[in-house]
Amino acid sequence: MSMNPVLAARDLRKEFATVVAVDGVSFEIQAGEIFGLLGPNGAGKTTTIRIILNILEPDGGTVMFDGKPFSSAVRDRIGYLPEERGLYRKSKLLDTILYFAELRGMKRTVARSEALKWLERAGLSAYRDRKVEELSKGNQQKVQFITSIIHNPALVVLDEPFSGLDPVNQILLMDIFKEMKQSGKAIVFSTHQMDQAEKLSDALCLINRGKVVLGGTVRDVKKRYGTNSVHVEFDGDGEFMRSLPGVQRAIMYENAAELELAPDARTQDLLGAMNTRVELRKFELLEPSLQSIFIQTVAGAESVPAAGKAVA
Amino acid sequence: MMKKALAVAKWEYLEKVKAKAFLIGLFLTPLIMVGMGVIPGLLAGQADKTTKVIGVIDPTGELAVPLAKAMQEKYLLASGEPNYLVRPLTVGKPNNMDLAIEEASKLAVTDEIEGYCILGSGGLADSVVEYRSKAVGDFRVGVRLEETLKSIIAEKRAVARGIDLAVVKELNVTLDVKMVKLSKTGEKEEAGFEKVFLSAYVFLMMLFLLIMTSGQLLVRSILEEKSNRIVEVLVSSVSSTDLMVGKVLGLSGLGFTQIAFWTLIGVGATLQFGINLIGLDHALLLIVYFVLGYLFYAAVFIAAGSPLSTEQEAQQVTSYLVILLIIPIVLAMPAMKDPEAPWLKVLTFVPFLTPTMMALRIPIQTPATWEILSTIVLMIVSIYGAMVVAGRIFRIGILSTGKSPKIKEIFRWARQG
Repeated sequence: MSMNPVLAARDLRKEFATVVAVDGVSFEIQAGEIFGLLGPNGAGKTTTIRIILNILEPDGGTVMFDGKPFSSAVRDRIGYLPEERGLYRKSKLLDTILYFAELRGMKRTVARSEALKWLERAGLSAYRDRKVEELSKGNQQKVQFITSIIHNPALVVLDEPFSGLDPVNQILLMDIFKEMKQSGKAIVFSTHQMDQAEKLSDALCLINRGKVVLGGTVRDVKKRYGTNSVHVEFDGDGEFMRSLPGVQRAIMYENAAELELAPDARTQDLLGAMNTRVELRKFELLEPSLQSIFIQTVAGAESVPAAGKAVA
Repeated sequence: MMKKALAVAKWEYLEKVKAKAFLIGLFLTPLIMVGMGVIPGLLAGQADKTTKVIGVIDPTGELAVPLAKAMQEKYLLASGEPNYLVRPLTVGKPNNMDLAIEEASKLAVTDEIEGYCILGSGGLADSVVEYRSKAVGDFRVGVRLEETLKSIIAEKRAVARGIDLAVVKELNVTLDVKMVKLSKTGEKEEAGFEKVFLSAYVFLMMLFLLIMTSGQLLVRSILEEKSNRIVEVLVSSVSSTDLMVGKVLGLSGLGFTQIAFWTLIGVGATLQFGINLIGLDHALLLIVYFVLGYLFYAAVFIAAGSPLSTEQEAQQVTSYLVILLIIPIVLAMPAMKDPEAPWLKVLTFVPFLTPTMMALRIPIQTPATWEILSTIVLMIVSIYGAMVVAGRIFRIGILSTGKSPKIKEIFRWARQG
């Protein structure tokens, strides 16, 4: 594995006529990592994506692929699914996929067998000679997704990949993400749906108003915002929990408790101590959800009207 | 790198060659053109094969008989039979014109007679003559009736004034002015006015349709790619230069398919019907200008089309280009009258007009060699320049969305390297 991150963005800056869309954004993406690019609508996610894909030229900053600047060779190693979906409506499915594969430098014969494989997996084999416009929106989106990964890119960038997909296909997409991650690919996806990001990402970057307001691995981020508390449900008398080592504060309910832990508390010790005294039905580490961090960070930055809408 | 441009070209070609608009243009254009070439030729050129019976209603009773006699003697079929038999139709007593016309119409409808001619009741004084027939397209009958009646009336009037009939016959001259086109070397060419006009017109229209069909296809496909953001995927896969080169190549493939197909049809028409609109040297020269014009306008369409985002804007811009392209059609008449006019030469050196002006001028009168060579060089330079400018506009234009940029902004893109 190379020492360089698959993608390193440094101090990206992009101004449009009236606004600074991206203002000093930096992040790194490692091989085998699923990277969530989060932020409310209009935060600068799509502009950032366009810059890293060399679609837009930044006014400042650099983008490095494996430690090297963008070159035409890089084009064949990246895949891209834009936010606004669309394919050639009048063209046939298989033809369309083969065209995009060819544009990414794939040999036609290889592209063909890969395309057939993916169509099979997406349940679209029967439609391969149909025109794109004859497909449902969701199926069109799957086709477009195939075009973005068919050439087995080292880095795939997906702008809002889950929007418009039904739950079954969302799971299909997540499975594919995980497979790609296992084979060492780097996946960047943007979303404003925090639960999705939470389930999938290893690392994230939260952008608001063109600036990175939060970044790092998901675990670090949660730790930073963590309230570090435990929710337990049990049968028996739980009064003793108040005085267990590591418990700073306890709120007792009938057969349940909310325990706030000291920073150095070990949940395993706690669990052991409880198990001997009561019958535990539930022991849950209460992590802050990304959702709450998101709201805290974005809304806390000052009143951001877009934030509420984004979360909804 | 070129490989991707070729992939784009192949895609553009194969996807558009299947487009309805292209197929319609491909087949319909030559059909219309051949139609325009063949039908008048058939009408004018083909003589009748059988004798036609023509009725005549003559309230005066003075003209029908001499008309019948003259028509019968004057116009003969190839077989030597008279071309026309004129049958005086009786006008019942009392002079009931309406009844006579009604009966004559019945005869014409049942094909008993080809048509009938109503001479005014004023006889010699009245200069209105009507010919009614199911086939009024046969304009020769009209011309011949007119000519014959004219001389009959003239004879009658002359005789009435005591002029010798022989003198009248001598005065009555029929003339046929034949237009003969001179070639560059001063030889006679077998081409009448209609033919020259027609071929100039046909080639202009062909070039016009050639450029318009593929130009519109190009603009429409750029719009589609912009509106659904395929263009972002394209630009992240291929450099914008490759993308544009691919589009131009694909489009050229379309153009050449059309030209080749039409040339085949042209050759076929020449062999089959003997309509030879144009000599081989002219045809080759025209093809050169077709190709140059096509490439030049491909760049123009890319430059004009890539900054647009809606179909309406596209239609507007295309209509401006249509005007630019049809200017020479409007000029066809004056150009026929005076092919050496200085303004014609001046307009030929405007790159936007060069191909169409040449398409107009070549069939009328081959332009001077220096004009041909210098316009070809001019076009090649213009195509290069137009491609460079189009490339700059294309690169920024295809990624611009929302409100279309102002002309001033586009000029700024064009200036920046």
